[in-house]
Amino acid sequence: MGSKVFHTLLSAAARCPQALFGCCYSGLRASSWSSGSRRLMSNGDSSMNVFDRRMKRRQRDWSAKQQDSHLYDYLRDEVGTRLADRVYDVARTFPLALDVGSGKSHIAPHLSKEVVERFYLADISEPVLRRKKEGEIPTHCVVADEEFLPFGENTFDLVVSSLSIHWINNLPEAFKQIHQVLKPDGVFIGAMLGGDTLYELRCSLQLAETEREGGFSPHVSPYTSVSDLGHLLRQAGFNMLTVDVDDVVVHYPGMFEVMTDLQGMAESNCLWNRRALLHRDTMLAAAAVYKDMYSNEDGSVPATFEILYMIGWKPHESQSQPAKRGTATASFGDLSKLNRPTTNQKDKS
Amino acid sequence: MSGSNVWSRTREKLRLFPELFAQCAEEGAVYGKCVTATTTGRQELKKDLCAKEFEALKSCFTNAPIRD
Repeated sequence: MGSKVFHTLLSAAARCPQALFGCCYSGLRASSWSSGSRRLMSNGDSSMNVFDRRMKRRQRDWSAKQQDSHLYDYLRDEVGTRLADRVYDVARTFPLALDVGSGKSHIAPHLSKEVVERFYLADISEPVLRRKKEGEIPTHCVVADEEFLPFGENTFDLVVSSLSIHWINNLPEAFKQIHQVLKPDGVFIGAMLGGDTLYELRCSLQLAETEREGGFSPHVSPYTSVSDLGHLLRQAGFNMLTVDVDDVVVHYPGMFEVMTDLQGMAESNCLWNRRALLHRDTMLAAAAVYKDMYSNEDGSVPATFEILYMIGWKPHESQSQPAKRGTATASFGDLSKLNRPTTNQKDKS
Repeated sequence: MSGSNVWSRTREKLRLFPELFAQCAEEGAVYGKCVTATTTGRQELKKDLCAKEFEALKSCFTNAPIRD
């Protein structure tokens, strides 16, 4: 996949990184999450509680109330336009659509009334919804947790979700709920951060924390990989899946600006087992390591956001089914005879 | 929270971080190379392996002049 590169040199806004790392002290220990992969748990595993959702809501509330919150929307806007493109690719009109974890609504402003007639926006944070961007389509806001959608079965023709489901604790259950609120032959088009997102930040912090403090704790969330995502969607009952990956690399002056922007985007750490503090020494050390390991020629450093796009359909009789066994009309053995001219072939001359 | 408190004061100090860090590019590069050498070499990264380089970086950082 081609990677789109932004050159964004933002001036360092005054943000305290201490706010990045919450209020649950968990002590120093090498965490199993540091490998960065999210384990695929079996159905009905209610002990899947990785993220502090209340903290996430507070982070979103805070970021929405900042004066310059629009400065941090660039990533969400970009992913929103790409998701809107995918919605346009589906040659249908959707009477009713839902945006799960909508934030300030980054998808609806890019769509027209011919594609979607009515839009519902659901997010856990009320201040964020109050600052939603207006577009052509009439929108209704619902304050709801992505894991507990308050909608009836077979309600929506289209469900979209942009850059919010990577904070969901029980992802299999959330996909099942999305599947439920969809009408048959409805489609779910989503985007989430996955795989190698922010690996530069994760590695720098890990090395610096080990050298300075003798151990490390998780600072970057565990992300879902592409293969796991396919399994999850299929388990939830979606059909005709399409999953693809896109890398967005954003360049910053340094590690501090990366963290500042992540905080401004409300993408700060909210793992339960996060540490309360990041020592200034460790931050200084990590910035030096980040610069040494990953910097570009002009001194700026990249931060990778790996975005997984997914499209899944709720089953319906009109959808194409796999052909039955024994209905083949040609054999693979015929392939070798294609190039050789034979008297049996019909000659159009 | 209004007025001057520990959070606003800390925030003010941390706002200067990138500027001061930019002035210590050399020491930062030396420390960075020391740490990243462990990722390729046989030596495992332990606490205070690059303590000397870090002390140099830290003293440059704390003594860097604030130009504003």
